Amino acid sequence: MTGLLISDFNIENLSSYLKKEPNAPAIDSVITCYGEVFQTLLDDAAPCWSERPDFVVAWTRPEAVLEAFRKLLDCCSVNEKDLNAQVDTFSAALRQASKRTGALFVPTWVIPPFHQTHGLLDLSPTCGVARALMQINRRLLETLDGVPAVYPLWTEKWIQLAGPTAFNQRLWYLGKIRFSNDVFKAAARDLKAGLRGLGGQAKKVIILDLDDVLWGGTVGETGWQGISLGGHDPSGEAFVDFQRDLKALSRRGILLAIASKNEETVAIEAIAKHPEMVLKMDDFAGWRINWQDKAANIIDLMAELKLGVESAVFIDDSPVERARVREALPQLFVPEWPSDKRLYTEALLSLDCFDRPSLTDDDRQRVRMYTVDRARKESQPQLNNLEEWLATLKTTVTVEELNQSNLPRVAQLLNKTNQMNLSTRRMSEADLHMWASEKDRRTWAFRVSDKFGDSGLTGILSLELDGSQARIIDFVLSCRVIGRKIEEAMLFVAIDCARTAGIKEVNATYCQTPKNKPCYAFFQRSGMTYRDGNTFVWDAAQMYPLHSAIRLVCEGTAPLRKARLA
Amino acid sequence: MKPTKEELIDIIYECLGEVNEQLPNDRQIQKSPDASLVGRAGGLDSLGFVNFIALVEEKCAHKYGIAVSLMDASLHEDGAPEDVGRFADSLFQHLMKTLPVRL
Repeated sequence: MTGLLISDFNIENLSSYLKKEPNAPAIDSVITCYGEVFQTLLDDAAPCWSERPDFVVAWTRPEAVLEAFRKLLDCCSVNEKDLNAQVDTFSAALRQASKRTGALFVPTWVIPPFHQTHGLLDLSPTCGVARALMQINRRLLETLDGVPAVYPLWTEKWIQLAGPTAFNQRLWYLGKIRFSNDVFKAAARDLKAGLRGLGGQAKKVIILDLDDVLWGGTVGETGWQGISLGGHDPSGEAFVDFQRDLKALSRRGILLAIASKNEETVAIEAIAKHPEMVLKMDDFAGWRINWQDKAANIIDLMAELKLGVESAVFIDDSPVERARVREALPQLFVPEWPSDKRLYTEALLSLDCFDRPSLTDDDRQRVRMYTVDRARKESQPQLNNLEEWLATLKTTVTVEELNQSNLPRVAQLLNKTNQMNLSTRRMSEADLHMWASEKDRRTWAFRVSDKFGDSGLTGILSLELDGSQARIIDFVLSCRVIGRKIEEAMLFVAIDCARTAGIKEVNATYCQTPKNKPCYAFFQRSGMTYRDGNTFVWDAAQMYPLHSAIRLVCEGTAPLRKARLA
Repeated sequence: MKPTKEELIDIIYECLGEVNEQLPNDRQIQKSPDASLVGRAGGLDSLGFVNFIALVEEKCAHKYGIAVSLMDASLHEDGAPEDVGRFADSLFQHLMKTLPVRL
């Protein structure tokens, strides 16, 4: 991955840490001459843009890019309008540059503490430097809100992590290096976490042990009445806070699951009955509570959740269990865990593997969707006939064209779906938007709901029209809804659109990855004809059948004939 | 508190450890008196040297309460010390001269 670092101070140390930091992705950076921030941002033809960088960091000092702020530091009077106008000018330059990259990271402005020593005047409305700093950061964020591919980063956090020597005047005067290396290290970690999130590599599941993880003590020995949880006890309070933070993560779309050596009935009773339990059984997407090997349980659990083991984090207080699971499942992330229970919250929130570029409604509802899915599956064995079961689901598939409101979720789904994914393209929101805007390309999002509930935006289809042919470029479906005839409904949409456009042939070329065999299997049984090179073809003279159990609804300007479908 | 050469060597090794975090594996500076610090035989580039000097200054200031500027000419009267041992010698002499100046 290549990055372009734009700054008005010497940023080579950040480049070194980005290259040296062991976590993915591997990064090589190009650094522009410091002090040429505006020139670089505004000049499309500058050599640094000749090869589109995967990401850009534009890290500036407020006194360097905003003349009015410099004046404020010099205790000159400054008009608020002038200050805002200069922020807007800088923001416009950032917006222009954002079109030339997949992701533009903008660390917020900070100043050294010795510039904030005017006492009561620091927050003065007329000359307060600290007040102005808050104001320009807020203005910058507001003007960048909603701009595709622009991601502001909270520099203040890095400063706090680095401690009192974050601003190093020795480095500044020796080499025009603004910050100490601890700041650059923290920045490199956050940038890499952000890039992993943008690439769909953020962790999706936290698998938890129970005893001495969610509560103190061994529930099998003391019963739920005897465990340490809540109350006026340092450890008990710490467990409640830890559960609260786990619950907060679940609201960000991170699934929670349990892998514990316990009697299932005893453990579930504790979760259900203990009055201070923050987490309830409905908060868990799945669990394996038994006396089997934890590694085997985790494999089984992740298969149930239809997710790869590499997308999970396993938290266990026992070093022996951690070592065993690490050895058996090297692709699973098993962080070291503090023995002091009061440090659990800090350990959890310091994990930088959950970063995502956006938080969608689907993320907030994810745990509920899994609960609903479990109810759906439990209903399945009562009916022997798959067709009958599908009919009872009363599935509605809603098709909508790619638009600004669904773009974040579509990009998220595109970047994290592995199994039912025809080409496994990974694209940022900005790149996807640009790609889809081209003439002769169509991109649709699919929402799925049934009598059990709403599964949310779970499918993507994109089509490229080329003369008498239409190529399916993206065929992506969340594993949550695979096998319910949604795949066939998506093909129906692709072929119906092609027929409407007078296309003669629709084809789809399968690009093999280690994980997308389910997609190949679907196209094999789809009724399309196999052609060399893993390409499947449909003669568009024929309609593609829509399963009778599916009700297809068109939203907005999706080009299907509503009367026939709804 | 007067510094000893052994203490200064420890400080230098600590700083080299931090500087090495940024260097590729094939350009790491060994923690040895003979290791080349700057110059034709390899070692740190100009940015690496700046990082190294700033770290040494900071750690000396912290440990001995001495305001020290290692970019002063006195440390480099015979040119920049090229290896770790000679740098430690120069640093020791420089600190002994600077000692009266307290932070």
